[in-house]
Amino acid sequence: MESLHNVLGFPILSLSIFLPTAGALLIWLFLKNDNAVRWAALIVSVATFIVTLPLATAFDPTTAHMQFEELHHWIPAFNIHYQLGVDGISMPFVILTSLLTIICVISAWRCIQTRVKEYMLAFLILETTLIGVFCALDAILFYFFWEAMLIPMFLIIGVWGGKNRVYATLKFFLYTLGGSVLMLIAVIAMYFKTGGSFSILAYMDYPFDFEWQFWIFLAFLVAFAVKVPMWPVHTWLPDAHTEAPTAGSVILAGILLKMGGYGFLRFSLPMLPDASQYFVPLMVGLSLIAIVYISFVAMMQTDLKRLIAYSSIAHMGFVTLGTFMFTQQAIEGAVINMISHGFVAAALFLCVGVLYDRMHTRDILAYGGVASVMPVFAAVMLFFCMANIALPGASSFVGEIMVLIGTFSADQLYNFSFSTKWVAIAATISVVLSACYTLWMYKRVMMGDLVKDEVKAMPDMSAREFMYFVPLILLVLWMGVYPLPVLDIMHVSISNLIEQATSSKLEDAALIAQSAAAAHITGH
Amino acid sequence: MANVTLPFPFPQHLELILPEMIIAVMAMALLMWDIFLPKSKKNWIAYATIATCMVTAYATILLTPAASMTTFYGYFVMDPFASFAKLLMLVATVFAVILSLDYMKDEEYLGEYYCLMLFALLGMMLMVSSNNFVTMYLGLELMALSVYVLVGYQRDVLRSSEAALKYFILGALSSGMLLYGITFLYGVTTSFDFATIGTRLVDANDSAHGVVMLGMVFVLAGLAFKVSIAPFHMWTPDTYEGAPTPVTAFISVAPKVAGFVVFMRVLHDVLPAVQADYTMILVFLAALSIIIGNVAAIAQRNIKRMLAYSTIGHVGFVLLGLIAANEAGYAGALVYLTVYLFMNMGVFAIIILMRRDGIQGELLDDFSGLSKVRPGYALAMGLLLFSLAGIPFLGGFWAKYVVIMAAIEADHLYLAILAIIFSVVGCFYYLRVIKYMYFDDARVDFNFIESSLMKIAVAVTAVAVTVIGLYPDPVIQICKQALVGLI
Repeated sequence: MESLHNVLGFPILSLSIFLPTAGALLIWLFLKNDNAVRWAALIVSVATFIVTLPLATAFDPTTAHMQFEELHHWIPAFNIHYQLGVDGISMPFVILTSLLTIICVISAWRCIQTRVKEYMLAFLILETTLIGVFCALDAILFYFFWEAMLIPMFLIIGVWGGKNRVYATLKFFLYTLGGSVLMLIAVIAMYFKTGGSFSILAYMDYPFDFEWQFWIFLAFLVAFAVKVPMWPVHTWLPDAHTEAPTAGSVILAGILLKMGGYGFLRFSLPMLPDASQYFVPLMVGLSLIAIVYISFVAMMQTDLKRLIAYSSIAHMGFVTLGTFMFTQQAIEGAVINMISHGFVAAALFLCVGVLYDRMHTRDILAYGGVASVMPVFAAVMLFFCMANIALPGASSFVGEIMVLIGTFSADQLYNFSFSTKWVAIAATISVVLSACYTLWMYKRVMMGDLVKDEVKAMPDMSAREFMYFVPLILLVLWMGVYPLPVLDIMHVSISNLIEQATSSKLEDAALIAQSAAAAHITGH
Repeated sequence: MANVTLPFPFPQHLELILPEMIIAVMAMALLMWDIFLPKSKKNWIAYATIATCMVTAYATILLTPAASMTTFYGYFVMDPFASFAKLLMLVATVFAVILSLDYMKDEEYLGEYYCLMLFALLGMMLMVSSNNFVTMYLGLELMALSVYVLVGYQRDVLRSSEAALKYFILGALSSGMLLYGITFLYGVTTSFDFATIGTRLVDANDSAHGVVMLGMVFVLAGLAFKVSIAPFHMWTPDTYEGAPTPVTAFISVAPKVAGFVVFMRVLHDVLPAVQADYTMILVFLAALSIIIGNVAAIAQRNIKRMLAYSTIGHVGFVLLGLIAANEAGYAGALVYLTVYLFMNMGVFAIIILMRRDGIQGELLDDFSGLSKVRPGYALAMGLLLFSLAGIPFLGGFWAKYVVIMAAIEADHLYLAILAIIFSVVGCFYYLRVIKYMYFDDARVDFNFIESSLMKIAVAVTAVAVTVIGLYPDPVIQICKQALVGLI
């Protein structure tokens, strides 16, 4: 067994994964009072965030090797290991998760008044599973966290959600589970093919022949496409978003959707390079539908959350598009887009939460002229609407422009069956479309005459509410103006990923098949 | 002392049957003790039953040989495989007795109730220790007759009597089929011994193939009846719904363990010569069970009925392990049964707790708002239901995982895919119970009759599925070691 790469000398990833659950257990056992629970949950989530910070500071950006690794036997009977590690692709997501959990806890401070304790416990346990997904380097461990995540999320939407919550949460649960069970079958099939290993890194090295890659790619595609979500399996997302409580939407848009994009980067591309190349037309087609068609759908929405949900699907279309262009800019752009969308979509859902807490409706038409009673809020929301449109200076601009450049230039590097220039042009249309639906929504909610009495009575944001927007504003600006540190972190990992994704495994697979056939003959 | 000569040699290794002896003697002793006990003290018999089971479990562990040993001239076999099954059934019986304490306390003839449970247990222990059709059938009938009476125990309740009658008629029919099948196999091989039949079938003349097929089909059908594999599942929903809930809990686990152990011995020892043929049949049965169980459960409003269909789905999964017919498959089936024991006992314990003044507590609606009134029970029930649905970090996930892995290893990929897709369908009805508990408001007052033993039982099952879910390796290893004697 090769030596483990962990500069810190203590199991920081395990600590980040299980600190929230340990905190949740303590809260469950010892705290009764709602306010004490809130503070304790805040302390635990902040502590987790602090624990994850060394990941960034001690990270070595010059290597594509997994870092902060841990490896223990978990289920020797099936050669399943408790194997953790992060590289430049997964590390930012771990920190994003721990950051957004803090914001979720704060945002629920006032608006969740029933079953506060269960609510906080659900979020802390959810944090464990989410960080676990991004750290897992054993396919079964990955699946374990991936599915376990459903339980707290199911309860969050179902218990604290809106009117139609039961339908939404069942749909969410069954869609996601139905998508991912095939992934389990694929992983088990790969286990037997590779001679008894569940290691993700071993799968990356093993030369699968094309038929295997083809089927396994499809199995993974179902799992990840539901999670991203890609058209046509996206319909659970608007329902889930609409009914989820504010913080549920935040974590859903901020982290859960990224698990799908992360899955493509961690599984499909490096393990199945030939199938990934083969399926580029399909993936590009689905991404373009998500980007263009879903943007039109978003324009037609009258429900604030539903509109932002559809806008999320469109933005995730950029992510899948960039992922399957195999160029440095496109994939880096895809990852930046995911992180940035984590900030922007989360902030937009928080904005809706602010409105909802005052008016208890998400209907766009119920508002109008809010800007004149809530000037500070109007400014904050304007900022994030601009970020959603990907205006220069915002983090999303960096992500989208990189995807577009990467797509535009992919023609020069690879010989696709279609011209990626046209793809880039088609995708650019959606930038206009996203401006249309976002600004139109802003206009209808914020601008206009103040005629409705309920709107007149709305107080501006409280300090607490303002507080959780501040870090998001700063992060969006920082990544928009100076994205270099984040790009540096992922640069080498993504170069390595592209090398894996563009070097065919078929020759090695053929060699293996030949030697197996030869052994078969000599065996006789 | 006069020289007594037996007409036959004294059986060797008689100590192997000690666990069964303890159960048999205690069952009869308790029956007599019952006559002298006043009605208010009938619960003592229950406690004595629990103690008997514990002593027997201890004896079973002590007597487990490293390899197969037989007594009674080879008619009774003791090996780790049988021991493991016996331990599972003993644990199931202890749970069933604890579940009965409050539920049955107003019934007449309580003493007989617990004794019948012991007799059923004795029958099952004989079944799993059998290596020939005679002992197997003897145990099977002892178990079946005791269970028929247990199901119909509330004789004043119409549905209980109805359930018992249906169970009896269909059970007798299936026993007849089993016997009929055994006669064909005997006709070809002139033996009742599993291993002897197995070797003689391998050497059997081709002209006997038709008779062997006939025998195999009838034996499989008879066994499938006992473990409620579709399409032989018809009795299950009615019996589960009508039987007193502790009895439902009992028959949903213990006879399934016994039935599957016999099933495994028959497949592995008796029928290896026709493996291709029986695999074809079992694939069909497993697929049908998983589909019917999971789809029909959706339509149920009564949770006991729902769990009956869920059982049918689960036995389909266990069957996957048998179809794989490799070490991983048989071990997987044992893992599944172990986890299933805890899940089902816990769920039924909570259903029993839901019965309160005048409310049966068996409709899904009755669970509305449980999480607000009794968060502890709701949490336990939630964990158990998520476990039944096969969601990780709970034991049910690994149960499904091991059998699916075995099925894929044995090249039954399509069956594995079908099974896993229908397990997603199955999630729906488990989630619906959670929906009632967590998302809805309470519509009626909860007035629980809770004994501390019940609370412990619920806690033990919930903790067990969680611990197995987080660290399943010990259970998997034990189940692999328990295959000594089968493989």
